[in-house]
Amino acid sequence: MKEKYLELRELKEKAPRIFGIPTGTKLDEMFFKVELEGNKHVKKPLGGIPHLSVLNITGIPDTGKSLLAEQFAVNQAGLGYKVLFVTVENPANFLYTSMKSKSEAMGIDFSKVERNIVVIDASESEELRENPRALLETMDYAISERKCSNTIIDSVTGLYEHREVMARQIVRLIFNFLKRKRQTGILVSQKRSTQASESAEAAGGLAVAHIVDGTIVLDKRVIESKWESNLYGLPIGQVLRTIRIDGCRLTPHDTRTWVFEISDLGLIEIISPLEEFQKQEEK
Amino acid sequence: MEVIVRPKGGDLDEMAKRVFLESIEVLGGLKKLVEYRNLTWLPTLAEASYVVILRNEGMKTYSEIAKELGITEQTVRNIITANKEKVMEYLRGEIDELREHIAGGIAKIAYERLKKEERLGERIEIGQREAEVLDIDWAVHVLARIKGLEFPVNKEELISRLSNLLIKGKRAEEILESMEYPIKNPADLLHKLKEKLQQT
Repeated sequence: MKEKYLELRELKEKAPRIFGIPTGTKLDEMFFKVELEGNKHVKKPLGGIPHLSVLNITGIPDTGKSLLAEQFAVNQAGLGYKVLFVTVENPANFLYTSMKSKSEAMGIDFSKVERNIVVIDASESEELRENPRALLETMDYAISERKCSNTIIDSVTGLYEHREVMARQIVRLIFNFLKRKRQTGILVSQKRSTQASESAEAAGGLAVAHIVDGTIVLDKRVIESKWESNLYGLPIGQVLRTIRIDGCRLTPHDTRTWVFEISDLGLIEIISPLEEFQKQEEK
Repeated sequence: MEVIVRPKGGDLDEMAKRVFLESIEVLGGLKKLVEYRNLTWLPTLAEASYVVILRNEGMKTYSEIAKELGITEQTVRNIITANKEKVMEYLRGEIDELREHIAGGIAKIAYERLKKEERLGERIEIGQREAEVLDIDWAVHVLARIKGLEFPVNKEELISRLSNLLIKGKRAEEILESMEYPIKNPADLLHKLKEKLQQT
């Protein structure tokens, strides 16, 4: 009978090494590792999101979730790593245009990006959107044939759009698959209108946040009152964008809310923690 | 940038077929199936196989499965929640009465066995001899011809798909002429064809 339990020491050889997978943003400094130097524990930036982690990026519409996912994809492809990008919302030809402009904005050779990104266009295929098994077998093919080490799904919500009751099963299926295939994964998920914009909750409930290794929450607030204008140091009508890591079970991380902007070139530029941003604006 | 637009696997029809054939093995093979023929009929077993696959591999809700197969949500629920152990006890004669969905229990056992042995992804062809012994060779040909056909379906569409097919010595067009329409789903088609064949 196959053993159904293991002693902890038997897992030593299988335990993955934790290091950072660069995103091309300041998120790379927001995940840490703690190392022993002499007899002191020292906190150092991980240099990216944790290798082999499967993270959820969530936020209300137009907070930059897809931009962040695409920026990560372009950055990784530009570094020579293969990326599998499952597009559920945006047809592949529009994604191509977006990736091209991002590459140019980031100063990355687009021909390298073109070679290193494989796209599964689930936006045009009902079978790929509605049949999780078909999607996973297609992803398996792409990962195995093209040797992808990073996988992005934008958005995972689109895979259970009219059957949210199955969200937990579908996300669990995808999570287990990405772990088995040793992928560093990003799942973009949308929020429902009743869900708090600053929380980790996404369509499908808290199930998604519970299953994945961590959640990155993007939020935005339109400055609507004089009080907010004074608080954030921004004029009325301006948009304040924030990003926060809401938990990561693999590594320690910065828990503060950070302010970011979306540049004219469509890039995510993380500025500073909100508390420092407020002080800066006050000055 | 390479773009993949079509699935490279995950054929739920193929998986349902595997579960169906494995269910026959669960029942003890072809010989036992003859002994049990009053307990469950092949379309019911095929239906249960589809329900199990659509739920576990297709991640479909009860409502979606019911709509796709043309059955009630309650039937779907009965299949999904069938107690496998009780069904096997009943088939072994250890208990006299059973409130469970028999085909559902069998299909669940077959599915779990295929998953455990990693055989769900195998391609299986039903051998001609096995199909004839099961008296389902005609059903296999019908199912192959209607692959991809959208249900519910009317007479004209079916006749065009099954033209020139002989079903137990009879022309398919003749049998189809006398059936009631629309046909809700493949299981309904097989059931009605069998009824017509038994009447003649």
